[in-house]
Amino acid sequence: MKREEVKRTAMNMAFRKIMPMMSLRNRIAFYYTVATAFLIALVFTIIYFMVDHVVYRQFDEELESEITEILRDAHVINHDFIGLSRLMNVDIDDKGDEDEEHEKNEQAEVDIEFIQIVNNKGQIIRKSLNLSRNILAFEPGHSETVYSNSRFRGAPVRQVQLPLVNRNGITEGYLLVAVPLKDAINVLLDLQKVLLLSFPLIILTLFILTRSIAGRSIRPIEKVIATAEKMTQANLDQRIAMPHHHDELYRLSATINDLLDRMHEAFQREKQFTADASHELKTPLAAVKGTLEVLVRKPREREHYETKVQFCLKELNRMASLIDQLLMLARYESSRMNPKIEEIDLSQHLDDVVERMRPLADEKEISFNVEKTGKGRAAADPAMLEMILENIISNAVKYSPAGSSITIAEKHQDHLSMCSITDQGIGIPEEQLHAVFERFYRVDESRSLSTGGFGLGLSIVKKLADLQKITVSVKSAKNKGTTFELTFPSA
Amino acid sequence: MRLLIIEDEPGIAGFLKDGLEEEYFAVDIASDGRSGLDLAMTNEYDLLIIDWMVPGISGIEVCRQVRKAGSLVPVLFLTAKDTLEDVVFGLDAGANDYIKKPFAFEELLARIRVQLRDKNQGDDSLSAGDLSINPATHQVFCNVNEITLTPKEFALLEYLVRNKDRVCTRSRIIEHVWDIHFDSDTSVIDVYITFLRKKLESAGCGNMIQTIRGVGYIVREPEMR
Repeated sequence: MKREEVKRTAMNMAFRKIMPMMSLRNRIAFYYTVATAFLIALVFTIIYFMVDHVVYRQFDEELESEITEILRDAHVINHDFIGLSRLMNVDIDDKGDEDEEHEKNEQAEVDIEFIQIVNNKGQIIRKSLNLSRNILAFEPGHSETVYSNSRFRGAPVRQVQLPLVNRNGITEGYLLVAVPLKDAINVLLDLQKVLLLSFPLIILTLFILTRSIAGRSIRPIEKVIATAEKMTQANLDQRIAMPHHHDELYRLSATINDLLDRMHEAFQREKQFTADASHELKTPLAAVKGTLEVLVRKPREREHYETKVQFCLKELNRMASLIDQLLMLARYESSRMNPKIEEIDLSQHLDDVVERMRPLADEKEISFNVEKTGKGRAAADPAMLEMILENIISNAVKYSPAGSSITIAEKHQDHLSMCSITDQGIGIPEEQLHAVFERFYRVDESRSLSTGGFGLGLSIVKKLADLQKITVSVKSAKNKGTTFELTFPSA
Repeated sequence: MRLLIIEDEPGIAGFLKDGLEEEYFAVDIASDGRSGLDLAMTNEYDLLIIDWMVPGISGIEVCRQVRKAGSLVPVLFLTAKDTLEDVVFGLDAGANDYIKKPFAFEELLARIRVQLRDKNQGDDSLSAGDLSINPATHQVFCNVNEITLTPKEFALLEYLVRNKDRVCTRSRIIEHVWDIHFDSDTSVIDVYITFLRKKLESAGCGNMIQTIRGVGYIVREPEMR
């Protein structure tokens, strides 16, 4: 018992070790074959036993009719009792020549019944001639009719044993009738052989077939794997070839391609960002480095030194502010910033930011027009909100023509607090509106030089707004102006 | 030697112009691709320094157009793009060299000298007869006597010696030694030639510069005696 258990555990472990290493096609084929093997084994067993049953029933019927005949000869009607004496005079040999019969019996026992009558002590009282010196196997003690398989002279026979009960209910002896089974047994043996041989063959064929079918049906997966393996950062633009059928594999391929699209896009964006950031940092650095290098090559006038140093300081300040913005962006993007959202006095914050922006606006004689029609309250992180407003308003100032006005409106719409900033500036081309929140985006490269921005302000605005669940939208008409709209989440 | 710089960053264009002019180059600046290409097509420059990312036509495109027009002028890319692909792409577009920002000014000078170097000579030095010129240090020697020249005189002599045994027309001299802002009054050449001749004479290298009447000037390698 223990040993068997050990054996079973060992097999279990081997199974667990092998299964994960098996390829999918082998595993599919294996499971399928095992399941089918059970079914086929069941069907074969049923077939065998049905044939077996049919064959024996036929013999039993033959034996029964033989008994009936003998009893009829003995004048036993229906279920009358049969004493030993009743059968003493019944002819138990087949009609026809005895010798001939005998001969036949010696040669082949075809269609021959052997009949034998024994007393209750097992002593043979009578027997048919064809038994010659042999006797049929007798099992004493049975009080009912027994059908059994037995052997007679080495050959299989079907035999019935009928107890002979007299009037007093005492078993006086037995009537034994047997028919040879040879052909039937051969049929059964052949059937058994065929079934046993064909079983492993069928299973093997089935396994090979299933394996090949499974292999064929998962070939698209292998293609997917091959493509995916070839994929590196450098060739993220490769895509998996779509299968013809719109099946699960089609969906898998589509999903992977979709994922690759998004990865590629994100990767391109990151690459672009890195390139932009490096360009933005290297340009002033190159200017400062070159200017100073040229400056120290020769002794110069005092004023010359001063102007060059002033220029370098200006460039360095620009670099410093770019680095500040980049770091800010990085901090917000890492999402480690937790906004402290609270109910704030929106109109107060608007006033504060407008006051802070006024000196900048005054330089270009731009006026602010603040409209307050809302509740004046919103849910936001006050510091972050002010940074958003500062960025948008300073942008508005930057891109507005001198002498124009900027409208800042605070309102309440659809149960939500909103705030919009509208300038009368140059506007943003419609096709570029979606890109304004991208890092390093500028409406026009050449203009950025005079305005001095890096194109990071609005991406910072977007990040800050996202953190606070504030929706930012932008509308613009070329040469008419741009409107940025903040929609605050419901409190 | 006359250079064209196509660069939109005033900070960089500024020090390049200052520094290169101090190195006796005549320098023109274009702040966008379009005007840069126009200048490169209409003037004969000895070298183009092009920033890749300039407004309008990109530096790469300018370089391609210049090459398409059949010009063999050396082109030096000056850019913040620094990936391997960018460098290869730039060089394949027809550039002769590629310098990444930020760069050392001395390195830029050395690379410019490489591009201007005589194909038949291993180093930068120029000579004609007893006269030898070191473009890196701006020293001029007649045998062992050093001759002190003003930047314009040096540039003029350098141009003539670089093109020795060839006639340098007055208009070519103006184009290569003076920058675009110079009013094309070529009589200024005669003034500088006179100064140069005097200085060469006193050092023992007289008669180096010969006048081709009505055309220009020539520096000849003296016949082997």
